[in-house]
Amino acid sequence: MSVSAAIEVVDVAFQAAVAYGRADFGDRLRQTRCRLTEDGVRVLVVGEFKQGKSHLVNALINASVCPVDDDIATCVPTVVRFAEEPSAMLVRTTTGEAPAEGKAVPVDRIADYVCDPANRQGASHAEVGVPRTLLAGGLILVDTPGVAGLASLHGAATLAALPLADAVVFVSDAGSEYTAAEIEFLTHAAQVCPNIVCALTKTDLHPHWRRIADLDRAHLADAGLDADVVPVSSTLRMHAVRTNDHMLNTESGFPVLIGHLRDRIGGEAGQLACRSAAHDVLTITEQLTATMRAQLSAYQGGGASDGLIRELECAQLRADRLRQRSSRWQQTLSDGIADLISDVEYDLRDRMRQIGRDAEREIDEADPAAVEDRFAAWLQQQVSGAASANFVWAMDRAQWLAGQVAEHFAEDGGKVLPDLSDIDFMTMTGSIDAIELPRDEKLKLGNKLLLGMRGGYGGTLMFGMAGTLVGMALLNPLSIAAGLLLGGRTVRDERKRLMQRKQMEAKSAVRRHLDDVIFQLGKESRDMLREVQRRLRDHFTTQAEELQRSVNDSLQAAQNALRTNEEESRRAILDLKAELERIAALEEMARELTSSRELVAR
Amino acid sequence: MNTKTGLGAAVRAVMRRAIREYRDSPDTVAYLERHLERMDEPLRVAIAGRVKAGKSTLLNALVGEEIAATDAGECTRAVTWYRDAKSPKITAHLVDAPSRDLPIQRREGALRIDLSGTWADRVDRVVVDWPSQHLRTMTLIDTPGLESLSTEISARTADFLSGDEEPAEADAVIYLMRHLHSANVRFLESFYDQGIARATPVNTIAVLSRADEIGAGRMDALMSARRIARRYCADEKLRALCQTVVPVAGLLAQAARTMRQAEFNTFVELVASRRADVEAALLSADRFKRYDGLQPWESEDLLNRFGMCGVRLAVTLVRQGFDDPQRLSEELVRRSGLGTLTEVLNAQFTERTELLKARSALLALDVVLSRVPRPETQSLVVEVERIIAGAHEFAELRLLSSLRLGTLKLPAESLAEAERLLGGLGAGPSTRLGLGVHASTGEQRNAALDAVSRWRRRLENPLSSLAMADASRVIIRSCEGVLADLED
Repeated sequence: MSVSAAIEVVDVAFQAAVAYGRADFGDRLRQTRCRLTEDGVRVLVVGEFKQGKSHLVNALINASVCPVDDDIATCVPTVVRFAEEPSAMLVRTTTGEAPAEGKAVPVDRIADYVCDPANRQGASHAEVGVPRTLLAGGLILVDTPGVAGLASLHGAATLAALPLADAVVFVSDAGSEYTAAEIEFLTHAAQVCPNIVCALTKTDLHPHWRRIADLDRAHLADAGLDADVVPVSSTLRMHAVRTNDHMLNTESGFPVLIGHLRDRIGGEAGQLACRSAAHDVLTITEQLTATMRAQLSAYQGGGASDGLIRELECAQLRADRLRQRSSRWQQTLSDGIADLISDVEYDLRDRMRQIGRDAEREIDEADPAAVEDRFAAWLQQQVSGAASANFVWAMDRAQWLAGQVAEHFAEDGGKVLPDLSDIDFMTMTGSIDAIELPRDEKLKLGNKLLLGMRGGYGGTLMFGMAGTLVGMALLNPLSIAAGLLLGGRTVRDERKRLMQRKQMEAKSAVRRHLDDVIFQLGKESRDMLREVQRRLRDHFTTQAEELQRSVNDSLQAAQNALRTNEEESRRAILDLKAELERIAALEEMARELTSSRELVAR
Repeated sequence: MNTKTGLGAAVRAVMRRAIREYRDSPDTVAYLERHLERMDEPLRVAIAGRVKAGKSTLLNALVGEEIAATDAGECTRAVTWYRDAKSPKITAHLVDAPSRDLPIQRREGALRIDLSGTWADRVDRVVVDWPSQHLRTMTLIDTPGLESLSTEISARTADFLSGDEEPAEADAVIYLMRHLHSANVRFLESFYDQGIARATPVNTIAVLSRADEIGAGRMDALMSARRIARRYCADEKLRALCQTVVPVAGLLAQAARTMRQAEFNTFVELVASRRADVEAALLSADRFKRYDGLQPWESEDLLNRFGMCGVRLAVTLVRQGFDDPQRLSEELVRRSGLGTLTEVLNAQFTERTELLKARSALLALDVVLSRVPRPETQSLVVEVERIIAGAHEFAELRLLSSLRLGTLKLPAESLAEAERLLGGLGAGPSTRLGLGVHASTGEQRNAALDAVSRWRRRLENPLSSLAMADASRVIIRSCEGVLADLED
C-alpha cells in the first residue's frame, strides 16, 4: 500500500470526523496528512574522508553535483533533493537571532563553496536540486564532510545530524577492512539511527573486494551491528550510464544499492509513516465506534431497561477514571521533566568537569604558549563532542518519558507517541565559541635587561656597601661580579615565574570558558527540554480532551436514549448501524495500511 | 668526517664509563651493553602506520624480495625484524619463554612465517635474518597496523614505537598513511617526544602510501599523489611532526622490482590484442579476471602482483614503446616513487646514522641515570649534558626542529636556506649547499664561503633579532663544518 493510499484513508477519516461533529480530530488528521505529504526520506551519506562519498552520491543520481577531487575533501554538507529545474543554494549559518538565509549560486560553481576549507562564505550547508526520478519519491541525499575520528569537529557535527536522518549510508572503500575508529562510529550511529547500509566503494579497483566484504561483514557481526554490506563501484556506474551499458550498470552494484534505498529504507520510512497514519486513523475510528456503540446499545436497550442504566453507569465510571488519570499523567510528565532537566544538567557538568581536568593536566605538562593553537582546537573538539553526546542522551530520555506518559492512555487505546524528531538542536552544538587563551607574554630583551639590572643593582649595592665598610670602593670587581650573578638569577626566576603565571592564566581561561559553555549549553538544553515538555503536554492534553469528548458523547447518548420514544429509537438504531458499518470500512482500510508489505515510494 | 666520529666516540666513551659505574648491577650492565653494541649495528628503521596502509608491501619493495607476507586482509600480527645476515634464519622471541627457531618456508616465491603455534600470542617479536645487500645499511622493522580492530595488536605496535618506559627500540620511523587522518597526526604526536635531542621530526619520514589508488586509480593518480604530498609537506601541523612526505605506490614498486619475463610477455600480448577489448577488460578488476584473452590464473596473478592501476599503467607504457622488460621495470619503479623514497632515506637516515644512533644511546643512558641515580654517577649526568649541549650535531637538530615547529621564526626567504644548510634535506655537503651531485670541490667551497659571509652579515646586523643571531651562529658553524670536510 503506498503513501498516496494512506493519504486517501486520512482524507476519508477527516471527512468522517467532520460529519460526526468531531472537528477536534481534524487538527490531528491535518498534521498526519502533512507528515505524509511533506516528509522526504533523509539519507545521510557518511564515512571517513576520501572514501568516495561524493562520488557515490553523484553516481547514485547520475549528475556531478558533489565535487570529487583527489585531494581536497568536502567541507560543507550538501543536501541533494528533487527539483524541476537544477538549482543550487548556499545556506548561511544562523547566528543568534538571525534566521537562516539562503543565497542562490550557479550550479556549476557549487564546488568552490563546498570544498573551501576556510568556509569563507560561512555556509552551514548547501542545497542542490536536480530533476531525477530517483529523488522524485521524496528521497533526500546528504553528502557529509568526511569524519576523521569520532572526536573531530566534523565527527561531532555528523553525529549530531544523525537523529534527523531516516537512514545512513556508511561509505568505506574496498582497499581495506574496517578500522577500530570506523566500527566505533558505526556503533554510535546505530544507536541513534538504526537504519544503516554499508557501501563498499571502489570495487573496480580492488581485486580482493569480496574478501574485504566478507571481513567487513564479520566485523559488523562481531560488533553486533545489523547492517548490509553492498559492494559498489561509482566509476563503473558513471561509465555505464555514459555508454548506456546495462550489464556494466549491474556490475557496478548500484541497482542493488538503489533497490535497498528505495525498498528497504524508503519503503521502511514510508511504511513507518503509513503505520503511524493508520494508527492515528484507528484511534479515531475506535473512539467514534465506542461512542456509537454506546448510543446503539442505549437505544437497543429500549426504555428504562437495566442494560441502559448499566450503560449509563459504565460511561460515567469511564469519565471519572479518565479525569483521575488526567491528573496522574500530568504528574508523571512534570516530575519526569524536572528529573530530566536535573539529570541532563548534571551530565553536562560532569562531562565538562572531566574535560577541565584533562585540560589542566595538559597545561601542566607543556608551555601553554607553544601549543596554543592545538590546545584550543582540542578543547573545542572535546567540548562539542561532549555536548552532542549529552544531547543524544537527553533525546533518548525524552522519548522514554513520552512512552511513560503514554502508558496512562494505553487503557483507552490512545497510546500515540508524539513526534519529537524535529526539535531544533543543531544550533546547540554550532553555538560553542572557541576559547580565547590569554595573550602570550614573552620576556622581551628590554624587560630582561631591566629586570637583570634591578637584581644586579641590589647585588652591586649590597656587596659594594659591605666593601666600603672594609675600605673598598663602592664599585669594585667583587661587587660587580655579585651584581651580575644576582642579575642573572633574577632573570631566570622571572622566566620561571612567567611560565607559572602563563599556566595559571591558561587554566583559569579554560575554567572560565567551560563555565561559559555550561551556562550557554545549560540554558539551551533547558529551553530544549521545556520545548519537549510543551510539546508532550499539548499532545497528551489534546488526546485527553478527545477521549473526554468521546466519553461525554456516550454519556449524552445514554441520557438521550432514556428520553426518546420507540419510533425515534428504531430510526436511530438503523442510522447508527449504517454509520458503524461505514466506520468499520474505514477501519478496515486503515488496517490494510499497516498489514501490507508491498510499498513503493510515491 | 671527523666531527661525526667525534660525537660517536664521545658517546661510546660515556657509555663505557656508565657500564663501569654500574658493574655491580648485572641487569643495568646488560641493558647498557646492549645499547653500546647497538651503536655498531645498522640503523633500525621501523615501518609504521594504520591497518592496511601497505607497510609489508613497502618493506618488500625496499628489499626487492617478497620476504614480508602480504594479504588483502590484516596480516602482520607480530613486530618483525628483518636484518642482514650470512645465512637465512627465523627466530621467534617469546615474552616469557626461551626463543625458538622457525622453519623457513617459501610459497609462490614469498617467505612465509608460521605463527600458528600455541605460543603465538606470547610472541614478543620475530627476527628474520636474511642475506640481502639492501638490509646492510638498515635493519627494517615491520609493525602490525595501528587502529586495528584487534586492539591487542594495535597496542603492541604503539608500545613498541613509543613505549613510555623504555626509549624506543627504533632509531627512525617511516610512517605510512593513505590520507592525512587525524589518527595519523595523533600517533605521530605521541611518537614525538620531549626527550634528549628534542628533535624527533628529524627521524621521521611520512610516506603517502598506496599512491596509485588515489583518485579511483586514474592514469594520472601518481601525479596527483605527488601534488598531495607537496601540500602535506607545507602543512604546518605535519611539518612539525616529520621531515618530509613522499608518495609511493608500494605494490607497483614491489612488482616492478621483481617483474618476471612471463609477466612482461603478458603485457605485450595485451597490447597486441584488439584495443577495444582490452580497454573494456581494464575497466574493473572483475572484468579483467574474466578477460578471455588470458588464462584465468594469468590475469589473477597479474592483478595480485601489480594491482589494477599497475596493470593499466604497464599496458599504457608498453603501448608507448617501453618494449623491453628492463626498461619497463625501471620506468615502473621510477613512477612508483620508490626511487625518491630511497634517495630521501639515504639523505635523511643513512647519512645521519651516527647521529641518530648516538641519540638513541644517550636516550637509553638517560633512562638509567634518572631511574637509578647514584652519587658517583652525578659526573656522568654532567657529561651527558655536556655532549648534548656541546655537540654541534645536536645543536643543528634542535635548531632544525624549532624552525620546523615554528617556535623560532625566520623571514621566509632565509628559512628555506637555513633548513637546507642545517641538513634538513640531507646531510651531504652538496645537498646542504643546494648544488647538484656533480658539483666540483671548488664550486662547493665557493658556495660554502658565500653562505658563511651571508649568514655572518645577518649575525652582525644590529637589526637582526636575537633568534636570528642564534640561528646564524649555528648555521655558520655548519658551513664551516662543510668547509673543513672539503679540506680533508
